[in-house]
Amino acid sequence: MGKVLQALRYILVYTVLIIIAIMVIYPIAFTVAGSFSVGKSLATTSVLPIPRDPTLEHYRRLFEETKYPLWFANTFKIAVANTGLSIVLTLISAYIFSRFNFRFKKAGLMSMLVLQMFPGFVGMVAIYILLYRMGLLDTHLGLVLVYAAGQVPYNTWLLKGYFDTIPKSIDEAARVDGAGHLTTFLRIILPNTMPIVTFLGVTSFTAPWLDFIFPRLILRSEDKKTLALGLFEMIRGRSNDNFTMFAAGSILVAIPFVIIFAVNQKYLVKVMSAGAVKG
Amino acid sequence: MRQTAGKTAPIASALFMGLGHIVVLRQYAKGIILALIETVFLLNAGTLLTALVGFITLGDPKPKMPIMQRDNSIFMMIDGLIAIVIVALFLLLYLYNVRDARKSGLDYEQTGETQTTRAYLAQLFDKAFPYIGLSPAIVMLAFFVVIPLLFSALLAFTNYTAPSNLPPANVVDWVGIDTFKQMASLPQYSQGFARTASWTLVWAFASTFTTYFGGLFMALALLDKKIKLAKIFRIIFILPYAVPGMISLLIWANLLNGQFGPLTRALRDLGIVQWLNNTGLLNIDYIPWLSDVTMARVMLVVVNLWLGFPYFMLLITGLMTSMPPELYEAATIDGAGTSQQFRYITLPLLIYQTIPLMIMSFSYNMNNFGGVYFLTQGNPSDKLTTQSFAGATDTLMTWIYKLTVDQRMYNKAAVVAILIFAAIAPFAIYQFSQTKSFKDGEM
Repeated sequence: MGKVLQALRYILVYTVLIIIAIMVIYPIAFTVAGSFSVGKSLATTSVLPIPRDPTLEHYRRLFEETKYPLWFANTFKIAVANTGLSIVLTLISAYIFSRFNFRFKKAGLMSMLVLQMFPGFVGMVAIYILLYRMGLLDTHLGLVLVYAAGQVPYNTWLLKGYFDTIPKSIDEAARVDGAGHLTTFLRIILPNTMPIVTFLGVTSFTAPWLDFIFPRLILRSEDKKTLALGLFEMIRGRSNDNFTMFAAGSILVAIPFVIIFAVNQKYLVKVMSAGAVKG
Repeated sequence: MRQTAGKTAPIASALFMGLGHIVVLRQYAKGIILALIETVFLLNAGTLLTALVGFITLGDPKPKMPIMQRDNSIFMMIDGLIAIVIVALFLLLYLYNVRDARKSGLDYEQTGETQTTRAYLAQLFDKAFPYIGLSPAIVMLAFFVVIPLLFSALLAFTNYTAPSNLPPANVVDWVGIDTFKQMASLPQYSQGFARTASWTLVWAFASTFTTYFGGLFMALALLDKKIKLAKIFRIIFILPYAVPGMISLLIWANLLNGQFGPLTRALRDLGIVQWLNNTGLLNIDYIPWLSDVTMARVMLVVVNLWLGFPYFMLLITGLMTSMPPELYEAATIDGAGTSQQFRYITLPLLIYQTIPLMIMSFSYNMNNFGGVYFLTQGNPSDKLTTQSFAGATDTLMTWIYKLTVDQRMYNKAAVVAILIFAAIAPFAIYQFSQTKSFKDGEM
């Protein structure tokens, strides 16, 4: 009797798992199939994610009739610049907050925490005017500065927490052996916090691919657009007459993301669960 | 001079920065640096003063001038804000200058010695190192985060709004708390706010709750050693987390398209739409996934669950595999069964460890813009929407966005932002009190 019950229980669990797996896969599979379907609109796609007469037409149109490759290159450029700038800024400020004592340390940490709670776009009117007056409107530099500055508070807190876990006695031992601040930092602190630095790298690289509000605010000309902006405008309003091309564009962005995620998955999970324990 | 240095040095330094250091204490390097700073400040005093006056008056209407030459209140406000920050920093430095002169003066009275230039420079570099290292981050934060947020908060106390007060054609004035009063007294705004705020809370709570328990369920199901193919299932379930959220949301918006979306078409082909019409549950030939208020709200939470459960699944899986095995060994010896172990050991530990994350997730969802905007754009709209511009599924964040970008009612958007800030601040303080360094009393 017990065995029958247990078998029933597993059948139930498997059924639930399979149903959820279908629900998870369906939107993705539908988009993949849509990108190969004949016809432009959502209405012509087939409900089951199997395209009739598969075609590469939408990928061709994406490259020949839109500026997709340019949007991709723009976004890539912004993402790389943002990653570099964010990592340098965060490493320096987190190291200082973790290792030095100075008068405004507590006030600084407190204000970073409050700033970090607030979504950056609340200040967008002022950001727009400041960039306008600095001549940085409609430039990628302006966008990168806004992104990198916005990430400083949260990332500093995160990284400082990790730096704090490396005992100060190790630094002091290195200092006694004649290592300066920079050597101590590069040889001792950095190698021990590589997972979290990777995590920061991945998050600051991926952020610009998804963000919509700031590119919409700052970038005006067609040639400066990022992917998020281009894809959004592709299906905004008339959501059903460009769906297949939008699907093709989405698939091409999603693939590198899934790869980045798969490669870094171990780090990401480690950082997330460690964050939970430490709070 | 020595006997009275404790008094004369601060008085001289109060007259002009660094004077006491040079004349009384003969600390030339420090004195010259301070004096130079004051000189630069005084040379720019005119500009700063103009900016400060501009900040107070916000310009006069000059209807006869060409538009581009009229006073631009908003530029004046930002310049004034920057000037205030500079003056505040200068005053802090001035205060430091007087206090330092007093301290060094008293030392000089007692010992007859003052710090040498070399010692001062070494100490300066040592003490100032944190500030020098932080300065790039501080400058960027000041310009792109702090000043914008302060500016937004200040907008709540102006009449900066379309259509009447938009520079450069018209000026903006300070109006005190009139905008707050106006929004409280006009029923469309107070009702719009009440609806949006309550939906924001429901949305944040429902999103956090569903993603947390959805993730917990999946993690537990896949950790059961008897489940085969757990690895493959896990890879599948991680997909929504790996695909960029904005893209997933736009795809969902298409899947849930009431007329042409595949879900509606499938239900139509299966005859379910017809059947719903026959039973009177529906009197249209499509499913109003996102155009019926209740349905749209439910769909928002469902799609958010789709996007969000993998995060908690990954996290809980990570935590469960690192639970101390000794606990379970001890429990087994004491005769506890698997389900008892789960109820009395695993679950309490897990919930205890993930409470901070649930709270963070809650505040994240309160602020979540894309999760709503990309799926429904705050729609469906109704009578209240035409009056207050808040759609039935708008959260406070998307409402602020619409008030700013679509309606250009900057002062009203700022009022809403200030109210949100008041609601979010307790979370920030909670999060702060949970950090290790705070608990250890290091700070």
